Amino acid sequence: MGHPPVISTAGLTKHYGTVHALTDLTVDVGEGVTGLVGANGAGKSTLIKILLGLLEPTGGHARVLGHDIEQESQEIRRLVGYMPEHDCLPPDVSASDFVVHMARMSGLGASAARERAADVLRHVGLDEERYRPMGGYSTGMKQRAKLAQALVHDPRLVFLDEPTNGLDPAARTDMLRLVQRIGSDFGIAVLVTSHLLGELEQVSDHVIVLDGGHLLRSSATGEFLQRTGSLLVEVVGTEVERDRLGEALAQRGLTCRPRGAMVAIDPPPPELAEGGAVHDLIRDVAADLGLGLMRLQPDRRHLEDVFLEGGARV
Amino acid sequence: MSDLTPDSGRPGVIHDLGYRHFDGVREGTPAIARNLFVTGLRHAYGLGRSGKSKVMPFLLLAMSLLPATIVVGVVVLTGLGELPVSYADYTNQTQLLVSLFAASQAPVLFSRDLRHRSIVLYLARPLAAPVFALVRWLSLTLAILLFTAIPTVVLFAGAMLSGLDKSDQTTSVLKAIALQVLLAMMVAGVSGLISSVSLRRGFAVVGSVMALIVLTGIVTVMQNIAYYEGDNESVSVGVGLLSPWSLYNGLANAWDAGVDTPVPVNGAWVPAYAIVAVLLAAACLLGLVARFRKVGSR
Repeated sequence: MGHPPVISTAGLTKHYGTVHALTDLTVDVGEGVTGLVGANGAGKSTLIKILLGLLEPTGGHARVLGHDIEQESQEIRRLVGYMPEHDCLPPDVSASDFVVHMARMSGLGASAARERAADVLRHVGLDEERYRPMGGYSTGMKQRAKLAQALVHDPRLVFLDEPTNGLDPAARTDMLRLVQRIGSDFGIAVLVTSHLLGELEQVSDHVIVLDGGHLLRSSATGEFLQRTGSLLVEVVGTEVERDRLGEALAQRGLTCRPRGAMVAIDPPPPELAEGGAVHDLIRDVAADLGLGLMRLQPDRRHLEDVFLEGGARV
Repeated sequence: MSDLTPDSGRPGVIHDLGYRHFDGVREGTPAIARNLFVTGLRHAYGLGRSGKSKVMPFLLLAMSLLPATIVVGVVVLTGLGELPVSYADYTNQTQLLVSLFAASQAPVLFSRDLRHRSIVLYLARPLAAPVFALVRWLSLTLAILLFTAIPTVVLFAGAMLSGLDKSDQTTSVLKAIALQVLLAMMVAGVSGLISSVSLRRGFAVVGSVMALIVLTGIVTVMQNIAYYEGDNESVSVGVGLLSPWSLYNGLANAWDAGVDTPVPVNGAWVPAYAIVAVLLAAACLLGLVARFRKVGSR
């Protein structure tokens, strides 16, 4: 892409005594929306806090927007926004006043802060309720207010820690759409964490998977979901029919395994992969056996597979 | 009603301009710190907060001003040759109000951000934890200084109106203000540190009351007992090192600022009092910095 990475880490490590929160993490994050996936305790929040300069790494280096996290963390905090995972809003202040104050704490002048706060609160979808004390907000409204304070100073990069936490399905969809807009329409790089893979599949351009403080994988979302070359075939009937088809296909040189009601066929050898010859073969075999073909589709991977692979590797 | 249908060509329609970037000037760290300082000072007096939160600070301020205005009235009307109470002693006499002000307002500056965890939002911004703690402490110090200095200034104005000797009065008012600065630094440190550790407002207030009012009461009683019952005067002076108020009174006594202590503070006790006072303020400030640094990394 030619752009320097927004975030780049090299051998980043953080140990709390015997607890290894992050181990030798080397990864680059570019523009757009990047998802940071991992189970609770995988090191997502630790990574964000290190990048913000709030935690000192035990080892390794990192740069955020071209600034070194140890020497220039103040410069970094000027350019980034942070939406923490936990509750962090004083209940006796209105969202409007609070976001204005936070804008000023990021160095915006009085009038600019008011203007930006009104703008950003409108973008996150807090309307009349912005003038009410935040103590009375629903979880969804609190999440929006938290997002607004992270965006109010027009950062170049925002860290969103579990922005969909505690939201109902509709609010979750809204929030994810907003996250996507921040990355595309607003032109702000986003690092968003979640423990739900499905969510990040929808919105991110790039996914980084952490597991127990280790980097499991980092690649474009498209690559995660790319076709694997495998095929899924389903025939009318029960497992008996499924197995008959599988055995017949195996005799023709294909590697088959049952998956639910379907037969999963591993990528065929090159001579069969050419021009869809394998599709014809499957059709013919099914016809010979007198089985009704119900489904023949390419097998796509899911983000979950990365975890399964990772688990198998360890 | 066709004229109510949306029409993009009609004037007066609000268009969604989409997201707009901010390309204006961004202030540097000193300006942000100044802004936090002013906000903190205003919040200490309930300004910019709910109407309810203005009651306590202004009620206490009015109560500490009332005697001063009465004194001024009496001095101006009767033409007394001197103020019935010295500037430094007036602060000492109203110490209960000053301590209550500090105890009730320190949680506003030191507990709220920690209890609601909004401290994380501050620390994710340019100001670092030590600077944040320092600025908060400065806000409370100035708030307490104003609380003690306003009645002092009223007294001074009264003294000037009644034609008392200008140079004498100026000297003693400046001494009183200097002592008040030291006092404010200590009281802000003690009450701030207590509030930053005990996050429930009630506990913070009670803790500060214990440290500032109850402890001072005990110290005063012990000073008097040591003076009247014991034969060793240095015990009485030595005990005075234990509370901000007895340090203030001792230094005022040593500096001839018109405050009586059971035993006069003199000789080597004077630098001891001064050093302990400065160390107390510094230790509290360091404690605050350590506390905020620790919270920021969680």
